[in-house]
This record gives sequence, C-alpha cells and structure tokens, in this order.
Amino acid sequence: MRNTYLLLICFGFVLIGPFVLPPTTAAEMLIFGIIAVSTNIMVGYTGLLSFGQASFFGIGAYACGLMLKAGVPLLLAIPAGTGLALLIAGMVGYFCVKRTGLYFICLTFAFNQMFYFIAYVWTGVTGGEDGLPGIPRPDLISDPVSFYVFIAVLFFICLLAMLRIIHSPLGLAFRLIRENPSRAAAVGYNVRLFKWFSFIIASAFTGLAGTVYAMLYSIVPIDQIHWLKSGDFIFMLLFGGTGNFFGPLIGAVGYIWLSDTFAVIWARWPLLMGIVFLIVVLHLRGGVVELIGRAYRFAIRERAEATA
Amino acid sequence: MWLGFQTRRHYCELSMTLLIISQILNGLATGMLYALLAVGLTLILGVLNIPNFAHGALYAFGAYFTFMIASFTESFYLAILIAPFLVVLIGFLIESQGVRRLYAAHHDYQLLFLFAVALILQELIIVFWGPVGFSLLPPDDLAGAVDLGIIIYPKYRIALLIFSALVILALFFFINKTDLGAILRAGIENREMVTVLGIDINRVFLLTFGLGAYLAGLAGGLATPILGLTPSMGLDILPICFVVVVVAGLGSIPGAIIAGILVGLSQSITTIWWPEATNVVIYVMMGLTIILRPQGLFGSR
Repeated sequence: MRNTYLLLICFGFVLIGPFVLPPTTAAEMLIFGIIAVSTNIMVGYTGLLSFGQASFFGIGAYACGLMLKAGVPLLLAIPAGTGLALLIAGMVGYFCVKRTGLYFICLTFAFNQMFYFIAYVWTGVTGGEDGLPGIPRPDLISDPVSFYVFIAVLFFICLLAMLRIIHSPLGLAFRLIRENPSRAAAVGYNVRLFKWFSFIIASAFTGLAGTVYAMLYSIVPIDQIHWLKSGDFIFMLLFGGTGNFFGPLIGAVGYIWLSDTFAVIWARWPLLMGIVFLIVVLHLRGGVVELIGRAYRFAIRERAEATA
Repeated sequence: MWLGFQTRRHYCELSMTLLIISQILNGLATGMLYALLAVGLTLILGVLNIPNFAHGALYAFGAYFTFMIASFTESFYLAILIAPFLVVLIGFLIESQGVRRLYAAHHDYQLLFLFAVALILQELIIVFWGPVGFSLLPPDDLAGAVDLGIIIYPKYRIALLIFSALVILALFFFINKTDLGAILRAGIENREMVTVLGIDINRVFLLTFGLGAYLAGLAGGLATPILGLTPSMGLDILPICFVVVVVAGLGSIPGAIIAGILVGLSQSITTIWWPEATNVVIYVMMGLTIILRPQGLFGSR
C-alpha cells in the first residue's frame, strides 16, 4: 500500500519533471534513477558493496551505441546491449562473489578499471579517449519530449520489475544473506549463487540504463566507464538512503542536479559532492530518507507537546 | 650490400637486447614505487581492516608537497625528507577524525568515508595547484645518465631503485625485528588478541595509518622526477595498488613487495612489444591469479 503511494509520487514527479527542468536533464535523472535503484538491490538489499557498476553501464552504452551506429533497430539494440552487459556481469560476478568483504570490493573495483582501459585502448571501436560520438536516435523518439516519454515508460517498467523482484522470495533471500550469511547457508541457501543472482540482476538493469544513455547526448564519453563513476553510483545510493526502495531515486536526482545544473555555476562541484558524502557517512547513514523520517518524527513530537 | 644488411640486422638484435635491459630496469624502478604503495595499503588493510581508498590521494599529495617544497627551497633532498611527513599529518587527521569514529559502524562506512576523503583531496589538488600538471627535474647530482657498461641509463632511476630498496629493507627490519613491528604483525594476524594483551589499539591504528600515509607520500615524492605531476595521478595509481594487493594476497607484506615489482616489470616489458596493452596487462595478471590461485600468490586466507 505504502509502495503504491510512493509509486504515485514518483509518477507525479516524472509528469512535472520536463516542465521544471530541461527534458534532457529530466531524462538523465530517470536513467540514473534506474541505476541507483538497481545498484541498491545489490548494495542495500544483498549487502554487496560493489565499486564496479560503471563497467556494466559503460558496456551497455558502448554496445547499444555501436549497434545503433551500424543501423541495428532500437528494439533489437537495447535488449542486445543489456544482454551483453548481463553476460559480462555473469562472468565478472562469478569471480567476484567467490570472495567476500574487502576482497569483493577490491575485485569489482579492479575489474572496472580493466574495462576502462580496454575501452581506452580499443580506439578503433570505442573511440578511446574521445568517446563514441554520433549515435543516432530513431526518428520516433528524436525530439527531446518524445525521448523523455520513452525513457519515462522504460523507467516505470524497470521500477515495477525491480519492485517485484524485491518482494519476491528471491528478494527475501537477498535480505537474508545481507542479515546473516551463515544462517542463510545453514538453512540450505546457496549463498554464493544468490549473491551471483543479485550481482547479475543489478548489473543487467544498469546495463539497460547504459543502452538508453548512449542515445541521450548521442555520445558515450569514456569517463562513463571509469571507476569514479561507480563511486558516483554509490554516492547516489547513500545520499538517497539505502534502506528504502525509492530512496536512491532522491540520490539520482541530487547527483544529476549537481553534475548538470550546479556544475555550470562551479566547476569544482565534486568537492561539494565529497563534502556531502562525508556528512552522510559520518552523521546521516540513512541518507535523505532518514532525514525525512527524523523531521517527520520531530514534527509529530512537537505537535504532541503542543496539544499536551 | 649483403654485409650491410647483416650488420643492420645484427644492430637491430643488439638494440633489442639493450631495450629489454633498460625496460627491465624501468620496470624495477616503477615496481619499487608500487611496492612502497602496496606495503602501506597492505598494512592498513591488515591492521585496520579497510581498503584505503584515499591512498592514491595521499600519494598525489606527497608528490605535490615535494614539488612545492623543492621549488621553494630548491632542494629536492629536503623536499623528499619533509613532504612525506606532511602527508603523515593528513593521514593522522583522516584516521583520528573519521576512520576512528566509524569503528562501531559497518566497515563499509569506513571505506565510503575514505572514498569521500579521496574525492575531496582530489578536488583540493585542482583548487590549490590548478588542473594543469607540472614536471620536476631530478636534483643536479642525479641529473643526466650514467654508463653501466652495457647500457646508458638515467642516474635518477638508479638512485630511485637503490633508495627504495633501502627503504623496503628498513621497513622489513622494522616489521620483523622491532617490538612495534611485532605489534603490527600481531594486529594483522589477530586484532582482538592485540587488544586483549593490553595494547592501546587506537594508537596502533593511528601509527599504522601514519606509516601507510608516509609510504604513499614518499612514493609520490620519489615518482615526481620520472612521472611528473598531474591532478589525476592519485586516481590513476589507486587501481594499480589494489591489483598489486589482490595479486599478492590480502595481508602479506613480502607478497606486496614481490607483487609490486612483478606488476611493474610486466607493465614495462609489455611496453616493448605491445605498448597499447601496458595498462590492461596487469588486470590480465590479476584475472589469472584469481583463477589459478584465488587467495593470491602469498595469501593464506
């Protein structure tokens, strides 16, 4: 029931978004919203902190961009790009989930940088340092507004799918593994297998977001696959709040606002991002969601005292 | 005609050998820098149980401090002496003001704190020194090249090799032969046990972080005359350090030294035949290690 309300609020924001912001910025927020929510399946719900999600975002973006440039129809390029991200996530994830804790983080992080250098060196295909420019958008969604509608529809499909996953027995198994891996193993769950599923699901949605990102500015810049981008994804989660399904969306909106709108005012915006990150880690671990919760409880207490 | 061709081929083979020798020396020199960094990272990882995401930023600050002091006092040696200690101060600040407050929280938060610190330090470099890089010449008595008999090789790189080997030896002595080193080793082995023995674990943590920061700062300072300074130097070196630690196996100090040298060598040797693959080869190395020996070359866990 609560989720229905929150979904309606999301719907409201998506409706007014393009009237308040430039449609391209609003579309970018939705794309990063998909990434934030999907990464949260892995980080927040399964307890796997990955510093390598930009790999799959980049792979999806490069794959779809190249296919669109080669004239492959959109309805084939998006699933194929997502499929490739899923496949590679399956391989990388297989090695990463073999190890736990710090080792897992180091591995995801190092693999990310491997994909970055592959993209950097493979100039003939990826454009190397200059990025992959000139990605065409199909005629039907060529203008910003229709593209926004397309992204919005995709956004809600992904959101509903991920909500379904989280509330399925699979999602419960993820949470069990986060809370107590040894108990999960004792009850008969194959912990490594479920971690692998979580890794693949999160990465596939991130790859899907990458495929549509390629069309957003018609270019895939190389820094979209750099490990710093993976850090930015983590920032979005943490800023919004990992404890809630919808929380990371707030983080995505905040991050895109910083990097698109605020960056014009102050080029050193990552400094502000770092400071916000620091404050969240030290004092507000539940992110904005926790802040709202605190304010809400504070308001209730005030009112109770006023009536008393 | 035929003779000329023959000599040319002979000359080519000879120059190839020389190239390989000088690349091996180059690889050893960068490998030493990686080893210094990786030992610091391993110490912090082992004792404090966190991967120090700010390690690259500390390395970069070491380089920039060295550059600043060297251009101010016009003495590279003085800069190499002082700069790492300034980095230690930053390290102390990070440990005492942030990491320590987060011991009660999940260790992921310590890592995220260090990541945030790395972002901030990274941006501060651009704020203080601008987005354009600098270069620093080696000191006069280490400038130029020296004839080694087979090849002519830059003096500074040889000095770097010898000096970092000495630092690593000193470190080895410190860790294996002194009481403080024994505490550090015990901390890596079993943190709880150290606390039980009545040793103030907070001081051990502070010291470890400081030592790691010192090594990172020193590596940064030593790297400046060969690698130059760019604001992104810390971001670029960080994944390499993690590869070294993964290849070595978490928590092994001799492993970190050997893996650091191996990674440096594999990079420089790849440069001879396939320069584009220089940055990718270390990840291939990492991948192979994970497949063949998941605990790392020297890891036991």
